[in-house]
Amino acid sequence: MIKTQGLAKRFGDVLAVDNLSLDVNEGEVFGLLGPNGAGKTTTVRLLTCLIAPAAGEAWVNGHKVGEENTAIRQSVGILTESPGLYERLNAQQNLALYAKLYGVDDVAGQVQKYLGMLGLWERRTEPVGGFSKGMKQKLTIARALIHEPRVLFLDEPTSALDPEAAKLVRDFILEVKGEGRTIFLCTHNLDEADRLCDRIAVMRQHIIQVDTPARLRQSLYGRKVVLQLQEINQAVLSAVRELPFVHQIQEEDRRLIVSMDDPEAQNPILVRRVVEAGGAIQFVTEQRHSLEEVYFTLMHEEAQETKQ
Amino acid sequence: MNTRLWAIMEKEWLEMRGNKMVLITMVLIPILLVGMVLGTTFFMQRMPESEVTGDNAPPIPPQLRNLDPKTAFIIMMNDQYMFYFMLIPMTLPVYMAAYSIIGEKETKSLEPLLATPIATWELLTGKSIAAVTPAVALTWLSFAVMAAGARLIATDAIFLALVRPVWLAGMAVLSPLFACLSVLSGVIASSRMNDPRAAQQLTGIFVVPVIALSLAVLAGKIFVDVQIVLYSAMVLVMVNLLVLYFAVKLFQRETILTRWKGI
Repeated sequence: MIKTQGLAKRFGDVLAVDNLSLDVNEGEVFGLLGPNGAGKTTTVRLLTCLIAPAAGEAWVNGHKVGEENTAIRQSVGILTESPGLYERLNAQQNLALYAKLYGVDDVAGQVQKYLGMLGLWERRTEPVGGFSKGMKQKLTIARALIHEPRVLFLDEPTSALDPEAAKLVRDFILEVKGEGRTIFLCTHNLDEADRLCDRIAVMRQHIIQVDTPARLRQSLYGRKVVLQLQEINQAVLSAVRELPFVHQIQEEDRRLIVSMDDPEAQNPILVRRVVEAGGAIQFVTEQRHSLEEVYFTLMHEEAQETKQ
Repeated sequence: MNTRLWAIMEKEWLEMRGNKMVLITMVLIPILLVGMVLGTTFFMQRMPESEVTGDNAPPIPPQLRNLDPKTAFIIMMNDQYMFYFMLIPMTLPVYMAAYSIIGEKETKSLEPLLATPIATWELLTGKSIAAVTPAVALTWLSFAVMAAGARLIATDAIFLALVRPVWLAGMAVLSPLFACLSVLSGVIASSRMNDPRAAQQLTGIFVVPVIALSLAVLAGKIFVDVQIVLYSAMVLVMVNLLVLYFAVKLFQRETILTRWKGI
């Protein structure tokens, strides 16, 4: 649905995006993570034909960036970092303007559909200037969807929103995903990326790593199972060490952290062996690394490589 | 009409309607000018001829010499005001034009707008027509009010001088074209500058040649008749199209979005 090959963009002496290559599949939520100045917004602007690439190629919805810009603009929706609504106009007028700009046939019907869906229909005649941040953000989402685009670019959709409004926006993103649209999400919110994205890319000018959040965790940390016991004794430790699939054991207080490749298949064997060795198991859980840890590890590795 | 062009015009008018200060200032100048024409005519007609003409009065041009000096002098005064009438559509929309692009950038509405399939010419033309139309409509309306008032209070000679063909042609054709030129220049300034005040001042400069032209006509240096008005209109149409072409060429989407950091 979205494909880039060696995409680059420079502003004067600043290299904003360098050799960016990625593939986004139809119907997936693809998250782009990176620090400020990593080139996330520039990437969105390149892919929505707001700015032109200095090098490389990109295709969105089958249309080539730089050659079929109008077709791309027609087929994508964008939620920019700032709402950019017309504050003197009411919600209905704001949406109707964009419906007309996108050449929507049933302007009134589409406006009613999205205002209703986002709970703004009752407030449709009020000037947008009096709306809360959350309401404005809902309206900008409606604006991005008013022409039913197949690809949606969301640049920091929940930044500056209170938790309730942010949840509402996240739930709506999941609803939109359920309709089979492709969503390209730029965010600083790692927890949000973890919950919403099928795959994520960590970038700093170029792509550092792309994968599903789960596989990124696995590739960096492997999989670990935590056994909490009433007491850890030598017999239990020896029994676990003898298991052929166990790579490593860490002992923390009354917890055993066991590294292995396939906990789904190997956990029952591990548990049986511990019980046979006299261990009294209280809890068995998988140790989950947060996406934040993954992110910082990747950024740290990238910084080390750059130094070298 | 092109749907996107119309959508932009509609949006601009809705925004204008919501900005009461802009509406008040737009209405104020035409009202003042109508008052000045009618007031001058009303009071000067009632003044003794010696006070009206005086010792320092300018010479009466040949085409008015068949009239009595007081009537001729009132017509000369009103002719000056008529030039101001023609300047109204040039000056009223200057603020809107100067603010057209910078304003969108300030409110951060330009990026989502440019992300739609709208073409640059549609955006600029829509904004220009939206700015010119109310100014021209107000000018024509105030001219009609002024003419109706003059019919009631002025002598036949003074009234007929106010609505003579050269003024009617100028008001109908030249005035909107000058307004388009002024607004397009304002839109160019707005898309190249990042301060609305600077753009407004630059746009104001375009009024100066028209004022100079009006002074030359009043001083009898240039004679204007209907034919010259119509020829001038044709030239202005070409100039407007040329300015629109340059406005589109000079509108750098990328530069506006990425380099106006101050806004």
